Amino acid sequence: MPSATLETAARELNQQIGLTSDGSQFLTFNLGEELYGVDILRVQEIKGYTTVTKIPNTPSHIKGVLNLRGTIVPIIELRTKFGMPTIEYTAFTVIIVVVVRDKVMGLVVDSVSDVLNIDKNDIQVPPQFGAKVDVSFLNGIGKSGDKLVALLDMDRLLSEDEIQEATVATKAA
Amino acid sequence: MGKTALIVDDSPTMRQMVAFTLTNAGFTVVQAEHGKDAVNKVSVGPKMDIVVTDLNMPEMDGITLIKELRKMASFKFTPILMLTTESAIEKKQAGKEAGATGWIVKPFNPELLLKTIAKVLPA
Amino acid sequence: MSNDFAQFQAAFFEEAAEHLAVVEEGLLELEQHPEDLDLLNKIFRSAHSIKGTSGMFGFNAVAQFTHKMETLLDLLRNGQKAVSPPIADLLLKSTDCLKTLIESVKTGAPVDDAAVQRLTSELASASAAGAPQPPASELTTAIDPAQSGDLTKTYVITWTPPNWLFQRGLDPLQTMKELRGLGELTKVTLDVSRLPHLTDIDPEQCYLAWELQLRTEKDSKIVEAVFEFVREDSQLSIQQVSAKEADKGVQSQSVSTATPMPTSEMDGPKPIGQILVEGGVVSSSALDHALAQQKRVGEILVEQKAVTPQQLEQALQKQRQQESGAHAKKADTASIRVDTAKIDKLINLVGELVITQSMLSDLGARFEMSQLHVLLERVAQLERNTREIQERVMSIRMLPIGTAFSRFPRLVRDLAAKAGKKIQLVMTGEETELDKTVIESIGDPLTHLIRNSADHGLELPEERLDNNKPEMGTIKLNAFHEGGSICITVEDDGRGLNRDKILAKAIRQGLISENDKLSDEQIWSLIFKPGFSTAEKVTDVSGRGVGMDVVKRNIEGLGGTVSIKTTLGKGATFTLKLPLTLAIIEGMTVRVGRETYIVPLLSILESIQPKEGSVKTVVGKGELINVRGTYLPMARLYEVFALEPEHKLATKAILLILETEGERVAVMVDEILGQQQVVIKSMEQNFRKVEGIAGATILGDGTVGFILDVRGLIEIARQETAMAA
Repeated sequence: MPSATLETAARELNQQIGLTSDGSQFLTFNLGEELYGVDILRVQEIKGYTTVTKIPNTPSHIKGVLNLRGTIVPIIELRTKFGMPTIEYTAFTVIIVVVVRDKVMGLVVDSVSDVLNIDKNDIQVPPQFGAKVDVSFLNGIGKSGDKLVALLDMDRLLSEDEIQEATVATKAA
Repeated sequence: MGKTALIVDDSPTMRQMVAFTLTNAGFTVVQAEHGKDAVNKVSVGPKMDIVVTDLNMPEMDGITLIKELRKMASFKFTPILMLTTESAIEKKQAGKEAGATGWIVKPFNPELLLKTIAKVLPA
Repeated sequence: MSNDFAQFQAAFFEEAAEHLAVVEEGLLELEQHPEDLDLLNKIFRSAHSIKGTSGMFGFNAVAQFTHKMETLLDLLRNGQKAVSPPIADLLLKSTDCLKTLIESVKTGAPVDDAAVQRLTSELASASAAGAPQPPASELTTAIDPAQSGDLTKTYVITWTPPNWLFQRGLDPLQTMKELRGLGELTKVTLDVSRLPHLTDIDPEQCYLAWELQLRTEKDSKIVEAVFEFVREDSQLSIQQVSAKEADKGVQSQSVSTATPMPTSEMDGPKPIGQILVEGGVVSSSALDHALAQQKRVGEILVEQKAVTPQQLEQALQKQRQQESGAHAKKADTASIRVDTAKIDKLINLVGELVITQSMLSDLGARFEMSQLHVLLERVAQLERNTREIQERVMSIRMLPIGTAFSRFPRLVRDLAAKAGKKIQLVMTGEETELDKTVIESIGDPLTHLIRNSADHGLELPEERLDNNKPEMGTIKLNAFHEGGSICITVEDDGRGLNRDKILAKAIRQGLISENDKLSDEQIWSLIFKPGFSTAEKVTDVSGRGVGMDVVKRNIEGLGGTVSIKTTLGKGATFTLKLPLTLAIIEGMTVRVGRETYIVPLLSILESIQPKEGSVKTVVGKGELINVRGTYLPMARLYEVFALEPEHKLATKAILLILETEGERVAVMVDEILGQQQVVIKSMEQNFRKVEGIAGATILGDGTVGFILDVRGLIEIARQETAMAA
């Protein structure tokens, strides 16, 4: 544990009691050892994993669709989407229901972690890892205490996905 | 207030407008589509404090309805207002003879409607 | 008019449309039965309703025009004028005009003022000739604005009401109260002189009379208005007296008369105009003229050069636009009129549902296994409730198809007149109910079909007579329920579709080749191809090659089908088959491996278990199945959707023969599970279109099931055979 300065300690305290400074709130979740975050304003709800209906002839990261109180909602497995190995679902496996451009969809993640306030100054542009790792759907890397959070750009993540119609997808580079 | 009004008109729009005005003024409103409907409704329903009826209606017109109502013990002295268009002024006489208390000339506004009702409605 | 009623404008437009339909239909029928008084009364009532209600919103152009129509209709129904073809024609044209007038107040669309003027005067002259015209009254508000008298006046009122006052529900006490509302009743004297001997008294008669003194600032007109309903039947005098006279208790000298007393002989200050007239300074016509010149703000401002007439006109224009803009915005909200009985029933059902729910939660709170049968019973009850509510809610959107049919009598009449044909339209099944959106969408396709029948199908009278047919051609329009769908047929007894002509044309247009062997059905369906038209001469109603393909596209867009039956020389029948509603379909659930799919029942012709050797492969890939001698393309659902099936051998599996738009495909599944109604859910709302899938639904266990897209499966099967060929 690196020793925290007084300033960061104060900020952490603020975060714990839910005070926001000049930053945004992020819902963070785990995929393996990595911590990711989505803008809390995008999150509609979090629900336990239930069986989905597979959609024929769709890429493997699209798990299927789910009945969310009468609405058909597509479910995306983020592990597969990010090219990580799949794991057995556990009691912690959850679906984060997000709204992206008026469309509702679910993201399967290993477990949710926390809601964090991340100061604007603590967000860095995502580093370039070369061609191996696709960072195009990251908004930046957030720092919260000693944690590093990969902040997801939902618009890009899901628009380049086949979920969106081809016309929308042209925006993604 | 607790007053009950019977509104008889074959035009749903007209009926709604009158009902709306009276409901806002605190009346309980019973609506009927034409004379026959009205007679059916009052024969089983509550006593009316006032009746507002159109004249030109299918099944049973307003004049006949007024005559029918006046035959009933519970409507013998009830104020009955007829809705009439100006061109049907000769209907006024027929209405009076049938026992109509008064009339409201179309087109009217909510204010005139309530004023005319206040004119004939016993406290 | 007060704005309080403005919120009812949408209801008015809806109602007016219905009345217009009644008027139009009635007039058309009247041409056949000019003596039908009931019909005339019905038409009159509708026109009268439009007039009365439009006036309420200040739609004076509508009210005044309808008034003119009504005047003529009144003469007709009183027998003062006879229904003649020119009059019926005039009234029909006027109905069209009235439609545009109403449309104009609704959307602000421009109106052909000249046409309105022309029709107005035509109506007036049609009404004038032969019978005295009732006074054409302009629509004005009944009450006069309260004039503000600035001095307190004293009136002496003597009133002897008619004996039968009470029988009309009138109460003299009310009158007193109303007078008191105007000012101060300084003196009330009851006159009992008319009271008979006690034994002769009829308690329901009014024998009393009154003399009253009223101090008020109000004008005598307002005082008189208190007696509005009894004035003509009472002995009434209203006299203004000087305050001194009143104080002295000097009674008015005037003798009571049976007519309302003119108020001109009163003392006290008079309006300045009156004094001038009385003094001979000005004539009364000059006074009227001066009063008529009371000006509006705009005019005064123009005169004072504060604004230019152009600026004023622009401002007025803007005001009108804002008004019509507000109307147009209102008109956008779609609404539906529902029978109150339907709503009452629904409320009852919801009540039952609430009871069931509370019984269930009660049971759930302290449930023991021994109560299982109770639980099952209540769940069954819940199921019944739910199903019934579902049906009722759907029925709210259900309207009789007659609303879509109503425009056709007029259409056929006009088409017949234009083409010089004699055509009668026979409509049945107008009461058949179906979903509002479906009704709204079938109007155009049906119009095309009827035009097609009138224009292409039916022959000219001479030709019909030559062929031993009655001179009058018939188009039958019929609607009826069939299973979970509605069938609408358009049938004519005309020349029927000509096989050879269609084939020749299709070959000429390169739609088919000369060697193609087509079944009759396939040939008839050629007329639905875009750009196909066999009309020998292009008329302005059909034969432009547009229409039939649009018909097919529209109907299929609604999940329906179009089919044709025809016999050369005898006629043709077009049958539209449509779902009752767009939200729910009757489906067959099928299983492939562990997945469940729903097949629209409408498209299932049959299910078969194929025999050994009935499946043929085309060059090792595309498969065809022999169903009683016909080879159909086959799609293995597990291949299409990349699933792990239970059976890969066709002879072990089930084949569903599906049909849409006259094309068939055999779809291979593992098992048929059962039939159920499913609510269609959109896949596109949160996802996108998936090939082979028309939509999704929620299955009994809460999971999502997919509804197969039959059209898509046919395409897929065809591509495979085509690729293989």
